[in-house]
Amino acid sequence: MSIITTCLTNAVKKSRIKKVCLVSDFLYQREIVDSLEFDTFHVTRGRPIAFGTGLKLANPELKVIALIGDLITLGGNHFMHAGRRNMDIVVICVNNFIYPKIAGNTTPTTKVPFSQYAPFERPINVPHMAKSSGAVYVARWTTLHNSELTESITQALQKSGFSVIEVMAPGGSYFAGIPSLKNESELLKFYYENSVIKNGEDTRNVEIIPDNKIIVGKFFEQERPTFLDSYNAQLSRVMGDKFKPYV
Amino acid sequence: MRANPKDVFTGAYYIDGDVSSAYGAAAAGCKFIGGYPITPSTEAFEAFVRRAHQVGAISIQMEDELGSIASVIGASWAGKKAMTITSGPGFSLMMENIGLGAMLETPFVVLNIQRGGPSTGLPTLTGQADMMQSRWGSHGDYEIITIAPDSPQEMFDYTVKAFNLSEKYRCPVMIMSDECVGHMTEKVVIPSADKIEVEPRRFYKGDKDKYIPFPVDNLVPPMVKAGDGYKLHLTGLAHDEKGYPLLTQNSKVKTQNANTRRLVDKIRLNVDKIIELKEDGIDDAEIIVVSYGITSRVAIRGIEMARAKGIKVGSLRLVTVWPFPEKKITELANKVKAFVVPEINYGQIVFEVERCAYGKANIVLVPHGGGSVHNPDDIFHAIEYAAKERKNVDGIIEQKTNLYSLIFEKEYKLHG
Repeated sequence: MSIITTCLTNAVKKSRIKKVCLVSDFLYQREIVDSLEFDTFHVTRGRPIAFGTGLKLANPELKVIALIGDLITLGGNHFMHAGRRNMDIVVICVNNFIYPKIAGNTTPTTKVPFSQYAPFERPINVPHMAKSSGAVYVARWTTLHNSELTESITQALQKSGFSVIEVMAPGGSYFAGIPSLKNESELLKFYYENSVIKNGEDTRNVEIIPDNKIIVGKFFEQERPTFLDSYNAQLSRVMGDKFKPYV
Repeated sequence: MRANPKDVFTGAYYIDGDVSSAYGAAAAGCKFIGGYPITPSTEAFEAFVRRAHQVGAISIQMEDELGSIASVIGASWAGKKAMTITSGPGFSLMMENIGLGAMLETPFVVLNIQRGGPSTGLPTLTGQADMMQSRWGSHGDYEIITIAPDSPQEMFDYTVKAFNLSEKYRCPVMIMSDECVGHMTEKVVIPSADKIEVEPRRFYKGDKDKYIPFPVDNLVPPMVKAGDGYKLHLTGLAHDEKGYPLLTQNSKVKTQNANTRRLVDKIRLNVDKIIELKEDGIDDAEIIVVSYGITSRVAIRGIEMARAKGIKVGSLRLVTVWPFPEKKITELANKVKAFVVPEINYGQIVFEVERCAYGKANIVLVPHGGGSVHNPDDIFHAIEYAAKERKNVDGIIEQKTNLYSLIFEKEYKLHG
């Protein structure tokens, strides 16, 4: 988590955006919050994107980062619809395959060998879901790829629209029962040996499959009008001069 | 402070309660509505959307009610007055985040045009069965303010009041109207802006480093806007005065107690300022009809019929249902013979009346399953019965309505 926070802080500094709000749905440690130079909100499970939508629309000057820890189980619908609207939010989807805070229960992105009792359900391919929802920026990195992750977050911050970055993050000490992944450095080593960078890869091919390498990289980028752009354009077209754009 | 003339659509209108409420929101300075259409509240949402650009507001149709309420809390922290509009099923979905709103001491308004329930229930017909839900819907301890208007004019007036109360006490305020009032078309007079009192958002203006979001010695502190550099941290976890959750067992117990005490006390210590009641002829009354929302208008006819028969009956209308006017009911219980409580449910507020009467007056419930309002005859019969009944009958006496006897001709078996 601290790796992601460092990347995030550096990216915010690098992008020189002033009004940043970070909305997450999991507990942020006091030390981390104190080190951040922007506002942080810890809201109900799965709702950061919806909460961020309110922040963004009420004050379009804000740049909202939604850090989703609960993956896209709760609030998967908000994820899709924010993408559809192209709401100007940067989503950082922290994928540690399990719910580390509650004894490692499995999530919809759980990869089979990471769980003691292998789940039989197919994991979600987050980048592909993001792309098909209409995201303008889609990338995936692991916490091993520090500089790339920072660069990706910077690019996403500078872009207006719905950007999704999936981060494979170790929940190190929580992987009890998996001898090879006892601590964070072991997991980083695991990422080093099992990930491959393929920028521009078709998101259909980046599904996480057991025993295959994890494909990381910047997969997709496009330009689309954001929600407020479309809103203003539509109402100006219908109402003409009577309408003052909402900014 | 007076309302901004730009936000007030002054004039005399012939509109329904939903639309009137939307105009009330605009007049109160509401600048954000996140909603999801649901009968019978859609007209209110539509009316606001149509006028949003005139008042510099924005509205969004979210993907569901979970999203609409979350966006409303976000918008409120971004510095705008915000509101959501819904009905029963959507109201149920909103409960989790209403708790978050209470926990973060966020001002916002929820307009619930009640319909028959449970579940999908009666989408197009009336009900008053969400009253307890508005108070106890989300888990944990918190206090809430609930207002029940009974006419389109009141929908305007009390929507403004709801915003004022939510800003004043920094808590969610519910307007619990119902399908009848929502779809009732009447004359509504919107006064000029200088006649509308509006409570502005109070913003913190001191030193940025010294900002404390939840100070122990101030139950309703000023707010800041997100993104203004206060390094705000807000969490739904039990938090200390700086807004941080604590980690050790002892400190958790301490913050939890300080935290929830704030949420409860800011309302409980101000009940006298918050509660608004409308009384009619209660000074020499033997029987008092306690009602709220549309039922209070139906009760007027029942009361007139009883008065024509020489029964001394008064009316106590709960404009604010929560916090409950405990003192008033207790005070009246010492003087009167009975309370008659008509409501469009099988008994919710009647239990509060019973609790506050401490057994000193009889309690007669006139229940109604919903779908329509009471027949005034039923309320009249209940008053008549209450006047004849001996004093000190234990428990709540249920007065069966004519509708009941029509549907259930024979007594039904309890099981098998």
